[in-house]
Amino acid sequence: MAAEAHGAHEGPLVPVYVWDLVVRLTHWAIVLSMLVLTVTGIDIARPFLHGASGTAGFITGYVRIVHFYAAMVFSLAVFARVVWMFLGPRRSGWRQFVPVTRRRQRDLIGTFLFYIMLRPAPPPAVGHNPLAGLTYVAVFGLYAVMILTGFALYSVSAYTSYMSMWQVLLPVFHGPQGARWLHHVVMWLLLGFGVHHFASALLTARVEKNGTFDSIFSGYKFLPRDRKPDDA
Amino acid sequence: MREAVATLRQELEGRGISRRDFVGFCSGVAALLGLPRSVSAQIAQALETKPKPVLVWLEFQDCAGNSESFLRASKPTAADIILDLLSVDYHETIMAAAGHQAEAALAGTIKANQGSYIVVVEGSIPTGAGGAYCTIGGKSALQIAREVCGGALAVISVGTCAAFGGLPAASPNPTGALGVGEAVPGIRTLINLPACPVNAENLTAVIAYFITFGKWPATDRLNRPLFAYGKTIHDACTRRAHFDAGQYVEQFGDAGHRVGYCLYKVGCKGPVTYQNCPNVQWNEGTNWPIGCGHPCIGCAEPYFWDRMTPFYAHLTGIPGFDAAADIDKIGLYATAAVAATFTAHGLVQLGRRTYDRRKQAGATAPPDPPSGPPAEPPDTTPAADAAQKGAAS
Repeated sequence: MAAEAHGAHEGPLVPVYVWDLVVRLTHWAIVLSMLVLTVTGIDIARPFLHGASGTAGFITGYVRIVHFYAAMVFSLAVFARVVWMFLGPRRSGWRQFVPVTRRRQRDLIGTFLFYIMLRPAPPPAVGHNPLAGLTYVAVFGLYAVMILTGFALYSVSAYTSYMSMWQVLLPVFHGPQGARWLHHVVMWLLLGFGVHHFASALLTARVEKNGTFDSIFSGYKFLPRDRKPDDA
Repeated sequence: MREAVATLRQELEGRGISRRDFVGFCSGVAALLGLPRSVSAQIAQALETKPKPVLVWLEFQDCAGNSESFLRASKPTAADIILDLLSVDYHETIMAAAGHQAEAALAGTIKANQGSYIVVVEGSIPTGAGGAYCTIGGKSALQIAREVCGGALAVISVGTCAAFGGLPAASPNPTGALGVGEAVPGIRTLINLPACPVNAENLTAVIAYFITFGKWPATDRLNRPLFAYGKTIHDACTRRAHFDAGQYVEQFGDAGHRVGYCLYKVGCKGPVTYQNCPNVQWNEGTNWPIGCGHPCIGCAEPYFWDRMTPFYAHLTGIPGFDAAADIDKIGLYATAAVAATFTAHGLVQLGRRTYDRRKQAGATAPPDPPSGPPAEPPDTTPAADAAQKGAAS
């Protein structure tokens, strides 16, 4: 089964522990908080949840509160993940994202050729493939934009709280309206990435048959015994 | 000093303002400044006894709207009182002198009161074409501003044009217009009172504060006094409860609009605009834009003409697209396009694999079973894990 069709796998498969607990927990904290942030964020941008007329209610108020708490989860999860890039084991490290080795630079092109169907199988990789890793650099950049525009927008009404310090960012974003716009557009970019990420994971899992899709739950990928572990 | 008291009282009474009105005005100023009621007596005493500050009012690229706002009062109240308090030595719109006489008056005032006069600036200062876009008496606005503001005790920029450049500085800013603070760096005390036009009550309060306490009110990082610009319109709005309750005007004239729901969805910029409009209101507390059903356009914010537009939409448009382009529609289409691309990619991949498998099945006799357990069972998980960890470390 492993050796069929494209011949990507030779020999028996062994489970390899690729994603440690911190990577998996921060991954799911980011996914879930992003889902909550997207739904509440769209409601804040163009409210679709309406209070019944003539009754006292607090629907938009609650939506904003949920958005702020989800933003805390998101910001802290992203922060923890970035710190873990430098403190955690090799598979969670920053070298998985920035292609600093010659091999990863070469495999970057190979993986791209695989994605555009000019190559039957991707270059072997244990953790993130080089193209995915580089994509996540951009994604983390977008996370940073979201967090900073979000903090800047929050600071507009943070009169007495320490969060008012983020007002220094407002001129950078061309005022709160610019921050709003950026916050909104990057939400769509991240949604597009989410769709891509989900589809790519399914596709890779199907083509490589290595348990990529399940690995973010279990931590294990199934790889040929002879796959060199030092391809990070 | 006693004579001065009598003079001011006589002046006020001569204009139909009673002692009661005057004390009421002082209480209003104290409340506007966020000071306790006891301070109103202090303000009243100061206004009656302290010497009148000399004031010079400069107009550059402006529409005289701030002067209008300041002078036009339906009954003799705040504006009259403050004008009687001040010694307005130069104001192009209201002074009697003209031409060289007027310029001589300005020069004389500056010379006689070096370092102790207050300048109010209305309108932006053009810096393009060597300042040729706005000249008075042969001098450019920039020259005049440097001369006059340089020796002033304090400069109060009234209106968004003087504070931040305003309409003349809107993109593409053909005259290179700047606010006073940017055009004339190094002003000793700069107070920005943006809004289009300035709320006369805020100007009155700033001057009353100075006369009473001998210093200027606390300001934020944009030199705006905190008593007037310390909070967003949204956070003090009378319609805020409707926002929190999710009750919105969907379009002008609908049922929600008629009963005064929140104007957020029709583009209200109250959440990103600092001013005390909800509390002070306009035209002696008659009403204010949101109060009469119009969304805030953010006129008191820097670059509002560029950054707060479109006035009737929550978000600005995408650069390069139509101004009315809907970000959400574009985003939804883009997301759908990504999903469609990957679905197509997956289908092609699947088709190719099926094709390959059929070809392979045709060449070699027995086809692979479509599914089943792995041909060779993998190692036990803990052992393999330990082996991998050993290799990794």
